[in-house]
Amino acid sequence: MTPATGISLKEPTISGAAADAEQLERARIDASTRVPVLMFYASAMVWLLIGTLLAGFVSFKLHAPDWMADVSFLTWGRLRPVHMNIMVYGWASMAAMGTAIWLMARLCRTTLRHPLLIVTGIWFWNIGVLIGVVAILMGYSTGYQWLEFPPYAALVLFVAYALIMSWAVLMFRFRRGNQIYITQWYLLGAFLWFPWLYAAAQAMLFVAPVQGVLQAAVGWWYGNNLLFLWFGTIALGTAYYMIPKVIGRPVYSYHLATIGFWTYALFSSWTGMQRLVDGPFPAWMITASIAATILTIIPVATVGLNHHMTMQGYFPVMRYSPTLRFTVFGAMSYTVFSVVGILISLRSTARYVHFTEATIAYSHMGFYAFFTMIIFGSMYYIVPRLVGREWRYATLIKLHFWASAYGVGLMSLMLLAGGFVQGSSEQSPSMPFIESAASVLPYLRGRTLAALLLTISHFIFAFHFGLMLFGLGRTSTVPTFLNPVEAEGSESPL
Amino acid sequence: MKGLLPLFLGLFGTFAFSWVGLTVIPNMQIGALNPQMDEEGTDIYPMPKSGMAERGRRIYAANGCIYCHSQQVRPDYVSADLDRTRDAGPSPRPKWAGRRSAPRDYIFDRPVQLGQERMGPDLADIAKAAPGEEESPATVPAGTAPAASPAAPQSPAPRANVAATKPGVSAPPTTLPALQATGANPSPTPSPNGVPPAYSAAWHHRHLYSPRSMSPDNLDSTMPAYKFLYEKHQISGEPSANALQLTGPDAPPPGWEIVPSYDAKCLVAYLMSLHQSHPLKEVRSAGGAAPVPAASPPATPAGSPPPAPAKK
Repeated sequence: MTPATGISLKEPTISGAAADAEQLERARIDASTRVPVLMFYASAMVWLLIGTLLAGFVSFKLHAPDWMADVSFLTWGRLRPVHMNIMVYGWASMAAMGTAIWLMARLCRTTLRHPLLIVTGIWFWNIGVLIGVVAILMGYSTGYQWLEFPPYAALVLFVAYALIMSWAVLMFRFRRGNQIYITQWYLLGAFLWFPWLYAAAQAMLFVAPVQGVLQAAVGWWYGNNLLFLWFGTIALGTAYYMIPKVIGRPVYSYHLATIGFWTYALFSSWTGMQRLVDGPFPAWMITASIAATILTIIPVATVGLNHHMTMQGYFPVMRYSPTLRFTVFGAMSYTVFSVVGILISLRSTARYVHFTEATIAYSHMGFYAFFTMIIFGSMYYIVPRLVGREWRYATLIKLHFWASAYGVGLMSLMLLAGGFVQGSSEQSPSMPFIESAASVLPYLRGRTLAALLLTISHFIFAFHFGLMLFGLGRTSTVPTFLNPVEAEGSESPL
Repeated sequence: MKGLLPLFLGLFGTFAFSWVGLTVIPNMQIGALNPQMDEEGTDIYPMPKSGMAERGRRIYAANGCIYCHSQQVRPDYVSADLDRTRDAGPSPRPKWAGRRSAPRDYIFDRPVQLGQERMGPDLADIAKAAPGEEESPATVPAGTAPAASPAAPQSPAPRANVAATKPGVSAPPTTLPALQATGANPSPTPSPNGVPPAYSAAWHHRHLYSPRSMSPDNLDSTMPAYKFLYEKHQISGEPSANALQLTGPDAPPPGWEIVPSYDAKCLVAYLMSLHQSHPLKEVRSAGGAAPVPAASPPATPAGSPPPAPAKK
């Protein structure tokens, strides 16, 4: 179908029988991934809701620090890591693996064999996260940021991961055709890097612990690489699939994509130490990471340019396609996130933002504005193909998008601005410390408001997703567009 | 991309490069530091913490103190950390620290708690701010762990920080009594509203129990109250010696008392063991006391504020 805008909103039809065969094959592949991918998504949604509620709780407790002071497992310093770990391992990792497995099956053009083994892996992963969360609440946090789960929970996660990902890799082994798509580079990278990263960090912190400050270095090496090489990689791979798919147009340049991928792998894996700026470390470590952070401008520019040129002329499709709107928002946020990352890692700025909320703004931009938005987009694309129904309410999708976009935007702005204020006051020693710490409080109230917006957005999405899961979506051959396509007849694109 | 092999080699190679570069090589460089000692082998720094303080570190980690408190002091050319004084304490207020932190300060720390944010003040050198007499006895039952810190009475040397208080002295004098070295009020007496001397063990207990009760300036503090680390007992016979002296709304009803749990005692023992005041050969101390002569700026007279950091 070609709406009046002159832009085709569906995959370009090939012709007659070939198209039918292709459609049939796709449907067969999608069907084979139905149970595991939906389980990934459903688990991820549950964790997302829990993590969101905890975020609100944590945010609110900063305004009312005496509230529930008698309850050990509700103390701020335990709820905060629980929120973070649920978001990282419960929501983000599970949603990412769901999307990655579906993409892998599609791109390998092969059905997912023995999905029950993956389902077992999903159960293990959920149990691992649950064990870790309970352990933190009971006061068994390891004390390493991003790795607060005790080693026994990490072990469960690792077993689960092996069950899940060996299957994804096996799928790659049985792929049809010799072509390796751009998205697959990213996915294979993520599949290989995550277990290595996780095992290396666990080994260097718990099995054969490194001495003193190096634990912090390993911690941030892990944290930043988890963000870039696990979540970032899957998000970029997804964007490379979704954008061309939705607008029905190939990626602009294969060579740009190659440059973007390898420079991404090379430079972003060297970041992380800038978070320890001016700390008790050899200066070269921090300088190397700052240099690597600056060099990430190369993958940002090439990937950004590639996406932009692919989208060139097709931006109006964002008016209709939920997937495209979320994905393009995420892809643009990748640029913003990286540029902000470069700016706050320069030594001249770092002295003002180090030890402040700006670091948290940076993490949220990476995790949410970039990664989570792209994954939301992919879920809007994938879920209808798994349940055979279309999203019921365009209004809910729009609400979800705007609440998320404004929520994360407000949060980033508040925390960045608050971070600069906090850091500058910390640099004037005549001001009592308590005043410099208090200078950030108004911004934290803004953050609480943003958390509220995100809570609304997630509950809307969860409700909508629940409708789909229980077969209450629309029965239709036309995907749900954000705006009615026919009504736009007289408007010209752009 | 042509072929699988280059792809896998590339994926493997890029990450191996980062792994070796950012974790393995630093481990070879600073991964096996030893404590520093003088020629006689007596003045050893740092020392492993006592058992109670080690347990306190677990409590510190378990309750997420790290999310708001750093334990690292930045050098004076990038930050005001070394110029900053603590918010409480006798006048002149104790400094945050006498010198920047160095890798050697942390060789016995596991998990290391460097921190990434400062919603609360830095704690790297918090024990040095404690009043002299308050050091060990209050929280640690006699006969268990030697003291709350390596700065036990039998080894006063690590406490003798020359940096902040004795500029111009280039060698660590090991004979200074701890009291003089810390520059603390020689006779700490509780202030009229019942708050114990700042940064003493009793002060930490009260601060953990009720952070906003310490002074009118402290009402903005966002620190959670750790009431769950304390126990409420009915007084039978004599009141406990370590009961918290509380006033106002926090005070227990008559006949009851609030006493620290063992975990709370360990946590405070840990806090009372946090100090980085001992000079290190590799670190230039602020204000001019410089074990490395070439790198030291002119000494500033005692009592005058140290030079402001160069703001670029």
